[in-house]
Amino acid sequence: MTSGRCLRVLGSLALVGLLLLLSGADALAQEAALNPRLYGDFPIIGSRGAIWIAAQLHLLFAAFVLGVPMFAVVAEAIGIFGKDQRYDRLAKEFTRLLLIAYSATAIWGAILVFLLGTLYPALWGYLAAVFELSMWFYVGLFFLESFTLYLYYYGWERWKAGASKYVHWSLGILLNVWGTIVMFIANSWLTYMMSPPADVTPDTAPQTVQLWSAIANATWMPINIHRLIANVVFGGAIVGAYAAFRFLHAKTDEERAHYDWMGYVGNFIAIGALIVLPFAGYYLGREIYEFNQQMGITMMGGFMSWLWIIQAFLIGVLFLAGNYYLWVGMGRIPGAERFAPYTKYMLIILVLCVIVWSTPHTMIANREELAAMGGSHHPFLGVLGVMSAKNTAVNIMILTTFLSFLLYRRANRRPVVGWARTGTLVQAGVFVISAAVVIFYGIYGYFVTAIVRIGFSVYQVLAVLAAIGLVVVIDIAMLRGSESRGAIRWGQMPPRSQYALFVLAVSFTWLMGLMGFARSGIRQHWHVWEVVRDTSPWAATPALGYASVIISLCVLIFLALVGFIFWVGGLAEKPIISQPITTSLATGGGAPSPQPAGGD
Amino acid sequence: MSRTTVINLKVAIVVVGTLAAYTWVANSIPQIESQVPEELSFSANVSTEELVAAGEEIYNGAGGCGACHGLGTRAPNLLTDEAGEGTIGARCGNRVPGEDCKVYLHRSMVEPGAFVMGEYGPIMPDMSRTLSPTQIWAVIAYLQDQGGTVTVSATDLQAAEAAEPSGAVTAVSAAAPATGSTDPLEIMRGNQCFICHMLEGEGVELGPPFDGIGGRFSAEDIRRSILDPGAEASEGFEALLGAMPPNFGELMTAGQLEVVVQYLAAQE
Repeated sequence: MTSGRCLRVLGSLALVGLLLLLSGADALAQEAALNPRLYGDFPIIGSRGAIWIAAQLHLLFAAFVLGVPMFAVVAEAIGIFGKDQRYDRLAKEFTRLLLIAYSATAIWGAILVFLLGTLYPALWGYLAAVFELSMWFYVGLFFLESFTLYLYYYGWERWKAGASKYVHWSLGILLNVWGTIVMFIANSWLTYMMSPPADVTPDTAPQTVQLWSAIANATWMPINIHRLIANVVFGGAIVGAYAAFRFLHAKTDEERAHYDWMGYVGNFIAIGALIVLPFAGYYLGREIYEFNQQMGITMMGGFMSWLWIIQAFLIGVLFLAGNYYLWVGMGRIPGAERFAPYTKYMLIILVLCVIVWSTPHTMIANREELAAMGGSHHPFLGVLGVMSAKNTAVNIMILTTFLSFLLYRRANRRPVVGWARTGTLVQAGVFVISAAVVIFYGIYGYFVTAIVRIGFSVYQVLAVLAAIGLVVVIDIAMLRGSESRGAIRWGQMPPRSQYALFVLAVSFTWLMGLMGFARSGIRQHWHVWEVVRDTSPWAATPALGYASVIISLCVLIFLALVGFIFWVGGLAEKPIISQPITTSLATGGGAPSPQPAGGD
Repeated sequence: MSRTTVINLKVAIVVVGTLAAYTWVANSIPQIESQVPEELSFSANVSTEELVAAGEEIYNGAGGCGACHGLGTRAPNLLTDEAGEGTIGARCGNRVPGEDCKVYLHRSMVEPGAFVMGEYGPIMPDMSRTLSPTQIWAVIAYLQDQGGTVTVSATDLQAAEAAEPSGAVTAVSAAAPATGSTDPLEIMRGNQCFICHMLEGEGVELGPPFDGIGGRFSAEDIRRSILDPGAEASEGFEALLGAMPPNFGELMTAGQLEVVVQYLAAQE
């Protein structure tokens, strides 16, 4: 039995265990009621630490196995409709990683359920009483998802031509549908804990809570959307890191070229989806405020206020690392040297924006600190730390990163249309106008009331999105039939660029842990907000320092396990290397292209 | 060292270094925990100083008051001057004609929508959902102490505790009295009886059903089964002997127990 098959068998056993465990949810609920024990105890790190680590690792693997299928099915579609076999092979390679990671997801899920049942039996009993039906449904979907995945991967070669290829692609879509529903169900459990329906009180017997009202709670859909996008970001980042690792270890030019391209695709998807993520984050934040002002204030201006400074720092690193990777990558594109002088200006803009975004504003301060500042805000930083400045900084960062992508895309192309110069000038004008709108509303925001100021962020976002859409449309039209300045030299990438992909993967993973802490932590000492109180010795919500240690530990364990899984995957099967990437493809379109625009 | 080892080492350094940097940054900022509101218990001759000290701790900790008050943007300043009217202790008695400081502050905490100052939004939560009555009175004593005279006394605490307990104190916890109600159904729901017993379609049929229980058992039998559930098993439920928690006698008042017993005995 190969290592890969052995892992899959282990994973199947874990799935069966999970099924048995979840199908016994009702029994556990009754057990909890019969047993007066409210909490168990876990040695050394305590119950909270144990649950935290298990939940975080399960979530990280789950995000990976939900994000990568989206990635794979899009790549397969490009392969089918673009008639490019390399994308198809890329999709298959992603799916192979997925197959093994799925087992790890199930194992951590089983660990989490066992720990919940033993360390928090009363809470588990309560949740099982509310959600028992959805838990059974969840398990059923888990099986459907698993077997669809097996069909999708093992049927790859059998259904690779003609109409059967479309059937195979449909399996990939179906896999995504199952995965999305599974995630939505699990999200309902955790969002219920954050925002239970208003008619649920401490005296409400859990079995009397209406299931649909518990599922469709105030933060359910915002979390669904936020996680859906975040999973794409995460999947792209991990695939990028995988490609970087393979690139560094590559022994042939073909391998290096393949993994260089794969890393680029991973980074493109990750950064592309990251640009959209803040908008989903605003939606989630608004819904939290709508649900409960106190919870919103706790999140943004209470004991968690410093968390957003850390988040800004992390996202700043992500933007800088993503742009750095693009700028270094332009070194392997003939013609890109003409854009090189601009990179230092983009770097300055990005750094300034990160500094503004990371500026603290409203902080909990004691009397002495207030006196030292001369007021409730710092005399200088207080001006930069407000939302007007921060929103402006974020939008300018997004515009700058988009410009990096645009220059990367244009690097080795020479438009042949007669209006190319005019088109370029119009594009530049759109950038300038968009930036001007963003800055104007940023400054104007200082002179209006808060409620008006909040509305300005919508205009800023719309200006940026409109600019991106317009510039892309012009670019596609302008580069149709364009000449090539030379083939992209895939594989001729300095090794230092690959470490940027590792920084991206680590930062994304850490950021997920941090945001998970924020989401869970705003419940403070409530298991279910203002309904089920946490009376355990671990009820206090820890400070960021402690949280960061747990998050780092989780990320380290996750990456070590992912490394092991990739290694085992390599033992079971040789990496799927595409053909040498020298043949030409159709030019134009927004998808990342692994080859030069022309064939010279 | 082989090339493979060198590459792996570099990757490990980048990964661990990035994690270390983030951990270091997160540990370099002010460390603020969200504390659990602690239950307070005062003797009948509690001093003003004790109340004020306890209130200050809640104000700066579990109450989370400083997240809004004192910033000048979300809610009125309490510890410092607000619009030239002084600190909260100095101005609380003048806010509502005919309402003294103590009453005004109490209503502000449990009916926050009643008084919203100036341009501030109605964002103050009902503090009785997160703090116990004693904690609320301790905070009021602390606020009165900010430029005024503390009039909160042990009498206020005793009166508050005698009234209906707040949701925060009665949150679902098998170790605490579930409800102060005298409604038998509410008492049983609060004590989670229906997690094992069923009555008119409500609950779970794990233990003996409550439907028709009055025809099978006397009030005396029912009372004994609640107070000492391990003494004797009902017919057909021998396997569950010892499963029912033995502390319901402590979780209900004597009056509540009697209401439940008589209600069940009437289910024939």
